[in-house]
Amino acid sequence: MAIISGKLDRLDKAFSALADPTRRAILVRLAAGEATVSELMTPFALSQPTISKHLKVLEQAGLIEQGRDAQRRPRRLSAAALEDAADWIDDFRRQWMGRLDRLENHLASMKTDET
Amino acid sequence: MLKADSNARLVIDRTAHCIRLERRFNASPAQVFEAWTKPEHLACWWDPSGQPLAVCEIDLRPGGTFTFVPNGRPDAPFAGTYLEIVPFERLTFEAFGAIGRVLFDEDGESTRLSVEIQCRSAEHLQQFLQSGVDEGTSRTLDNLVTYIGARAR
Repeated sequence: MAIISGKLDRLDKAFSALADPTRRAILVRLAAGEATVSELMTPFALSQPTISKHLKVLEQAGLIEQGRDAQRRPRRLSAAALEDAADWIDDFRRQWMGRLDRLENHLASMKTDET
Repeated sequence: MLKADSNARLVIDRTAHCIRLERRFNASPAQVFEAWTKPEHLACWWDPSGQPLAVCEIDLRPGGTFTFVPNGRPDAPFAGTYLEIVPFERLTFEAFGAIGRVLFDEDGESTRLSVEIQCRSAEHLQQFLQSGVDEGTSRTLDNLVTYIGARAR
């Protein structure tokens, strides 16, 4: 149970971090490769403290982590947290897509019945 | 973006508290509408597990109710009230406090189906989604499209 609630906690944090459009944009940028705070300042036209604040939220949510270079301190996506959140969305998607797959098959059989 | 095939699309819009699924079917709007509104058809396909529904009651008129109960899961009914019925075009219903809109758009030989679930608030959208997924999977969600776009691949 502890594992499950820990995971839920993490998902809650992840999703609330994702509620902000700037943070989502930062994630999209990081999906293309790691970047430092100053590399993120230019495309987003935001001050260093603002970027740092967003990065802190993303970091606490476990969505990003520090890269290896200790001097430049680049940030990169944390695959595990993204997978958790995406898995959950996939559950919902799978349920509905499965339902509509079945509708498709059923429509095909309705047509066969007519002929 | 979703990696789903181009034939199907799922969008979750947190700002509008709404989930929308779009899909194209090789059938006329009349056939797709019938599959959504006649119990003998709907019972066959509604449950994604592949089993026919144990209960499928449809009172197709504004103010009429519907109840869909999956086989072996009497605790997980999908029930609500129809609000608006425009044959072969549109079906609007209320379920779990959310508004569902099903649109049947003719497109040549096929039908573009859009299922939209509109909730009162972001929290409500979250609750609504939880009711449809395995228990304990999660609590909240965000803009699906943007989010999936952020997945490192």
